[in-house]
Amino acid sequence: MKKKILSVVLSMAMIAAIAAGCGRAEGTTTESGDSKAPTSEGAAVKTGDLSIEIVAKGFQHDFWKAVKLGAEKAGTELGATVNFVGPKDESAVAEQVEQINNAINKRPTAICLAALDTEAVLGALSEAAQANIPIIGFDSGVPGADSIVANASTNNYAAGQLAADKMYEIIKDKVTDSAEPVRIGVVSQDATSQSIGERTGGFVDRMVELIGADKASVEGHDKYNKTIKDAKVIIEIGIPATVEDAACVTVANTLLNKSDLIAIYGSNEFAAKNIVTANESLQKLGSDKVIGVGFDSGSIQLQAVKDGILAGSITQDPVQIGYQAVTMAVKAASGENVKDVDTGCLWYTADNMQDEAIAPCLYE
Amino acid sequence: MTKKNSIGTQKIVAVLALVLLYLFFSIFGNNFFQYSTFISILDSSYYIGFMAIGVTFVITTGGMDLSIGTVCICCSLLGGTLFKAGVPMPFALCITILIGLLFGLANGLMVSVMRLPSFIASLGTMMVSRGLGSIITKTASVTFPQAENSGAWFRNIFKFKAAGLPAAGIPTGFILLIALAILMAVIMNKTRPGRYLLAMGSNKEAARLSGVNIVKWETFAYIISGGFAALAGISYAAVYSTLMPGTGNGFELDAIAGVVIGGTSLSGGNGSISGTLIGIFIMSVLKTGLPFVGLQPHYQLLITGIVLIGAVFADVLNKRKRK
Repeated sequence: MKKKILSVVLSMAMIAAIAAGCGRAEGTTTESGDSKAPTSEGAAVKTGDLSIEIVAKGFQHDFWKAVKLGAEKAGTELGATVNFVGPKDESAVAEQVEQINNAINKRPTAICLAALDTEAVLGALSEAAQANIPIIGFDSGVPGADSIVANASTNNYAAGQLAADKMYEIIKDKVTDSAEPVRIGVVSQDATSQSIGERTGGFVDRMVELIGADKASVEGHDKYNKTIKDAKVIIEIGIPATVEDAACVTVANTLLNKSDLIAIYGSNEFAAKNIVTANESLQKLGSDKVIGVGFDSGSIQLQAVKDGILAGSITQDPVQIGYQAVTMAVKAASGENVKDVDTGCLWYTADNMQDEAIAPCLYE
Repeated sequence: MTKKNSIGTQKIVAVLALVLLYLFFSIFGNNFFQYSTFISILDSSYYIGFMAIGVTFVITTGGMDLSIGTVCICCSLLGGTLFKAGVPMPFALCITILIGLLFGLANGLMVSVMRLPSFIASLGTMMVSRGLGSIITKTASVTFPQAENSGAWFRNIFKFKAAGLPAAGIPTGFILLIALAILMAVIMNKTRPGRYLLAMGSNKEAARLSGVNIVKWETFAYIISGGFAALAGISYAAVYSTLMPGTGNGFELDAIAGVVIGGTSLSGGNGSISGTLIGIFIMSVLKTGLPFVGLQPHYQLLITGIVLIGAVFADVLNKRKRK
């Protein structure tokens, strides 16, 4: 009895589904006809509708939401359908591989990719190459893979330079007219990461250039050292022994406690956050005291900028990253030659944090 | 008789659901109906599939093995580490399987000899294997060789690629999965050990009184589960290349969901390997298909949940009616 009813219900459901399917398919006959054609291992659909698949390193974090925002903006402007996916966290390599495979199977015009692990996606990359689907890297891209057409990412060295420019504007008087030598502190998370090294190096090089190579002495870490005797300005770099908050706070404490310190820079969220934490007990930072400059955002840093504890911070421009990635993808698909693009960075302070161009780039 | 029928109903529902889903995505999803997508579906179902076949044995005895997800990753991490240290791939793979069998043996002894509840014993093994993987690899990820590198041939076990064949490859893993499923189904339904497991699941005490060596055969079920978890680990490495220590949690729930959708009762006493496979494929068709109709993969969880509840409810209704 039961079985009979069940099978009747199921077959009805099945028929209904098929009918619904046919019904809808009729409306879009030409479209589905077109898109099914490349099934026979053909090139991507290039007739009319552009579709860009974006595979990020996540989707929940505000950073990726901002990338998505930019990508969709570019999609609307260029008349491309944009589909944004990402794994649940940065350890979900398998989930991302499946998402990339899915993206390739959908035979889009192009794919934008920020890979969690280069090795894991190599197979997918060669499949994309066989199917003639160009791949654009964004954010950290796909390091070490040569089949990537071009990358849309932040030039971290330039971002570090911008931090130095902005800090110099504020402390200019103190470094030029000082009778006593003064000190600028730099807190860098580690000495190994490429992006952090560039952000720190860009800052230090630019600051030395602004002050004058004969007047500034760089000390504190072998990687950056350039000691000069009787320098007017000492740039001291502090790198914590381990990437742990406590170790970094100790480094920040040591720098903040030096009486000749006039400014301090943290070259990523971790460093900036721990400078703020160290300052909670020392109370050295402020517009008329030691000038603090951070990098990236995060709730503690945002609050510190809002309260004037930090003069300001540099943020990457995730909206631009998304926007440029899609723009480049569309160009690459139409056969244009595309080159790496610096998606830029922005300087934010308590005054401009709410601006339309800046607010979407800041995350808690 | 009753038992057979109840599996029957649920299996029909499951097969229909699988066919309907595939049809649905083929009609509504752009480019879903093509060979490379089909391969993607298979690729994403191997590791869960192997785990599910193994754990079906444990569930049949009325037990539970929560450790398969992390054992899967742990074995593969250890195998990969050995390979990096210079052990030839065939040995590394054999040791991988051996480690899985040992994890299974440990689970089995804890349950059958030490009389720990299987839920707790395997929860412990889950944590142990997860920790062990991180310790041995020093929390660094392990990448298996690919393309032309030495040792990369093991990928051909699951996907055979050669010149002249379709670019997406021949799904040899699917053939392996089906062959092992048939073998295990025969063992479960046609051999004495299989009968013992089913008897234990129905009524352990009665089985013991009729002379079944409970300690031996219960341990056997867990060893099978551990061995298949290790095989799952190898297939995972073949498909995804890079393994992260500390992952694997949650795989077991996917596998168990597949087992349940396929009609095996969690209270033990019946088991259907073919049903388990269908359950697994329902989930991977959903996972692969949803993005083709413009839905994020998270919807898979929602829909799988509904399918799971629906499948079990159909079974419950059926049983109630018979009473």
